[in-house]
Amino acid sequence: MIVLEQVSYRYPGTSTWALPTTSLELRPGEVVGVTGANERGKTTLCLVVAGLAPVTIGGELRGDVLVNGRPTVDLAGYELAQRCGVLFDNPAVQLTGLHRTVYEEVAFGPCNLGLPKADVNERTRAALQMLAVEHLAERNPVHLSGGETQLVALAGLLAMRPGHLVLDEPTSRLDPERSLQVADAVARVAGAGVGVLLTTHDEELLARVCGQVMEL
Amino acid sequence: MRLAVAALALIPVAASSLLINLLLPAGGGGLATAVAALLRLIGATLPLTLLFATTDATDLLNDLEERGVGRRAVFVLGAALAAVPRAQARAMDVIEAQRARGLDTEGSWPRRLRGLLPLVTPLVVGSLAEVEDRTLALEVRAFGAPGRRTLLHRLPDNRWQRAARWTMAVLVALGLATRVAGVTGL
Repeated sequence: MIVLEQVSYRYPGTSTWALPTTSLELRPGEVVGVTGANERGKTTLCLVVAGLAPVTIGGELRGDVLVNGRPTVDLAGYELAQRCGVLFDNPAVQLTGLHRTVYEEVAFGPCNLGLPKADVNERTRAALQMLAVEHLAERNPVHLSGGETQLVALAGLLAMRPGHLVLDEPTSRLDPERSLQVADAVARVAGAGVGVLLTTHDEELLARVCGQVMEL
Repeated sequence: MRLAVAALALIPVAASSLLINLLLPAGGGGLATAVAALLRLIGATLPLTLLFATTDATDLLNDLEERGVGRRAVFVLGAALAAVPRAQARAMDVIEAQRARGLDTEGSWPRRLRGLLPLVTPLVVGSLAEVEDRTLALEVRAFGAPGRRTLLHRLPDNRWQRAARWTMAVLVALGLATRVAGVTGL
């Protein structure tokens, strides 16, 4: 479970709080939607929940962010990655661009953990299967469509076996059909027990998959 | 294909070398000097051209990592190799976006030059912003984890390949030795 207790955050070198005081809980298998106008701190909330702020990007955090009872500030980046994955709004940036196939791209995270090869393969296949994109396994990631890239980036996160996922505007660059694919994927991921926090302006996505919605 | 491109790229250099040494009074080295300059240029560019004409970049990175080069060094090399096509793709996006706003990128040379500035700024700023996003993306995939990465593929390395490598190393050593000893003039 991820818990934010009276959390606010500001980026390094700034005086204003990018994330105003916020509290929330994200339980296993739950999908929480976050909505709100631009510049209200939705992306910042994603970074804070995942621990990237302040662990990786610095800045000042007030309040507590706990992942399974441990403060995110006490965990290293690679430890956070195994507890909470983040999908950024531009999935193309999330792919390394160094792999010839989608399979290798999805396996990148488990390989980084130094897992045995059999485990890497098992995780990779399971992640592709969960998102129903096994047919993309041998494709070159560079030549995927926007929706496919989004799903492959998500598969790359799932292969890390995180207990939680944070999705920042996952459908903002997609047409309605691809958005529907992502919504189905989110529902499947949550069904597997992963807690999902997603920020979006997409009312249909909120209605389709979110158990609760909070406004920033 | 890459060898053909490299050969094509050498044609204007060869032509200018011949022009300078044969026709212009300031050059004055003659045909032998022109050929020597061209051979030096080929010697400098051929190894890398051959490497990338015959070796897939992913295989090169995998092999380096298998031989103990750190994951960060390998990634930096890979990112550098991927930077050119990535920058090309970004440049095309920027050009299309600016064209849609009415920027002339296909007119006369002076107009094209005037159109460069609005292209360069978003290209550079966008690339810098992307570096930060990519850093975060690596972090969420445990790139900073300690220990060695798992390698999914190991490249075949039979005795003929090993023998070829050793032969080439010996040839390089011999070449250097003869050069130091002054046996060859080039």
